Amino acid sequence: MSVIAGRPVRLALALLACLVFAACAGHRWAGPLDLARAVAGDPDLSARLLVAWRLPRILAAGLVGALLGLGGAIFQGVFRNPLAEPYLLGSAGGAAIGATIALLVPLGLPSSLALGGLSFAGAWAATLLVLAVAQGARDTAGLLLAGVAVAAMLGAVRSFLMLALSDESVSLQVVLSWTLGGIQTPTWAGLGLLAILVVLALAASLTLARGLDLLGLGTDQAAAFGLATDSFLRRAICVGAFVVAVAVAYGGLVGFVGLIAPHIARWWVGPRHRALLPVSGAIGAGLVLVCDGLARALLPPAEIPLGLITAAAGGPFFLVLLRRRMRA
Amino acid sequence: MRAAATGLLAILVAATTARAEPVRVVDALGRAVVLPAPPRRIVTIFSSNTELVAALGLTDRIVGIDAFTRYPPDAAAKPVVGGRLGFSVEAIAAQKPDLVVLTPARQAVHQIRDAMERIGVPTLVLTSRTVAEVVGNLRLLGRATGVPERAEALAGELEARLAAVAARVAGRPCRRVVLVTGRLGNGLLLAARRDTYTGDALLRAGGCFALAGSVPQVSPEALFAADPDVLLLAGSAAELAELAGRPGFAGIRAVVEGHAHAVPRAEFLIPGPRTVAGIERLAGLLHPAGAP
Repeated sequence: MSVIAGRPVRLALALLACLVFAACAGHRWAGPLDLARAVAGDPDLSARLLVAWRLPRILAAGLVGALLGLGGAIFQGVFRNPLAEPYLLGSAGGAAIGATIALLVPLGLPSSLALGGLSFAGAWAATLLVLAVAQGARDTAGLLLAGVAVAAMLGAVRSFLMLALSDESVSLQVVLSWTLGGIQTPTWAGLGLLAILVVLALAASLTLARGLDLLGLGTDQAAAFGLATDSFLRRAICVGAFVVAVAVAYGGLVGFVGLIAPHIARWWVGPRHRALLPVSGAIGAGLVLVCDGLARALLPPAEIPLGLITAAAGGPFFLVLLRRRMRA
Repeated sequence: MRAAATGLLAILVAATTARAEPVRVVDALGRAVVLPAPPRRIVTIFSSNTELVAALGLTDRIVGIDAFTRYPPDAAAKPVVGGRLGFSVEAIAAQKPDLVVLTPARQAVHQIRDAMERIGVPTLVLTSRTVAEVVGNLRLLGRATGVPERAEALAGELEARLAAVAARVAGRPCRRVVLVTGRLGNGLLLAARRDTYTGDALLRAGGCFALAGSVPQVSPEALFAADPDVLLLAGSAAELAELAGRPGFAGIRAVVEGHAHAVPRAEFLIPGPRTVAGIERLAGLLHPAGAP
């Protein structure tokens, strides 16, 4: 833990800077004074929008990013694979089918509820299907293959649904834009629920920290240290799947963050998961906050899908860090 | 002089009182929409809604449109609040609207209504499932914007024109039609179908559906098998020529007999007043004067 002594303050300051940037960024850039006036109750429409719309959205963005960072760290730990990312076990495909149904089939439910609920259910169902096909989590290579196969099948089903259910008024673009990610502005109650889920996810993740550290030594070594690897892997995958399902329900399919946040965190605080998990979550939060701000501000009045920004802006950022790391 | 001033004052007071009266309407989603006064700053999402508001002579009240709006030209020059990549609630709020008119398509309602409700801006949702609903939208907008008489006059005129078309095609044999509204990259066609205002327009013009079913995407093979009396393409003459030149199209009866026509997209894909002109045009194509 001495590795990270003194770093929480810097991390908190960096997160705060990301939060302020996200609050200022948008179709109309707001200065800190505008923000202060809006929070103080300025009756102007744009000021009210800052409080009623932008604020819950950026808080949701930060929380979704934290979940993606957490999910990525869990899955990379479970699979001991630096290329593992949160959507590995079919959750993206499952969530996308749920979202496709929510967006294209009139269900008589409030759209935000249907979209979040069905994408959450889809993500969960897909992961459970992968676990069932692979008969548990003992064989991680088998799990990965099952995940790839289930993702391919779900992708085909989603494409068919998109073609069959779209028409002139409900275009494919609607589903496509969801698959490219984008934070749904929640109600304050929805944001509260998200915050609670994030706290629960973090708490559940931290209980995995020691087991993930041991797994890093290999399953045999981990078992020699007393870890019941089969049941631990199943539990870790369920926690990871829950984390990702919540993220998907609130933010669609935001790519790349779950892959790079754990790496950045690992470079900073080392491989021990007790520090790695929360730091990866914080870095994920910062990345999504900044990228969501850019998504809203770069091409007004349009909004660029968040997933495009995370890949387009996060990619070069990650490559610079990677290059520095490789030189060192 | 004093009498004149008093009269003027009375008119001003009356006008102010009339303006201050809240307007209550029920929109297509069954929501009771309450407007504190007839709106003066309207954002219209989608060209159809812009055209409807403009048709009521209220172009000067429009303060925001979406990027696909091209008509009428003076409305098309208004500030853009969204387009291909979605709609910006911030751009809408920047126009300080007192009404946003929108339609449940391309996630507009999902993206905009909730945000506007949070900041107290009323939204009016219109749908256009039938031609009658399109005309009804004029009346609804007329009530919402404080010009019900103007809306009633316009709607009545459009209904009279529709009745004239109905009288003209009554008793004529139905022409089996395929109206192609778009083409997909994989070669499939989008065709007008039942339960849409475009399909309703086709029926009102004295046509009937050559294709069975209600799936919008059809393969050219299904179109060849249906062998319609008339092939219509919502688009330009050049686009029709390109379609008719594709393998298989040259042999279908409608093309061979010269009953393949291009019709303006604006009349059949934008549910507004111009749709009635489209129905008149289509009735003329399907049932030319002197035909049995």
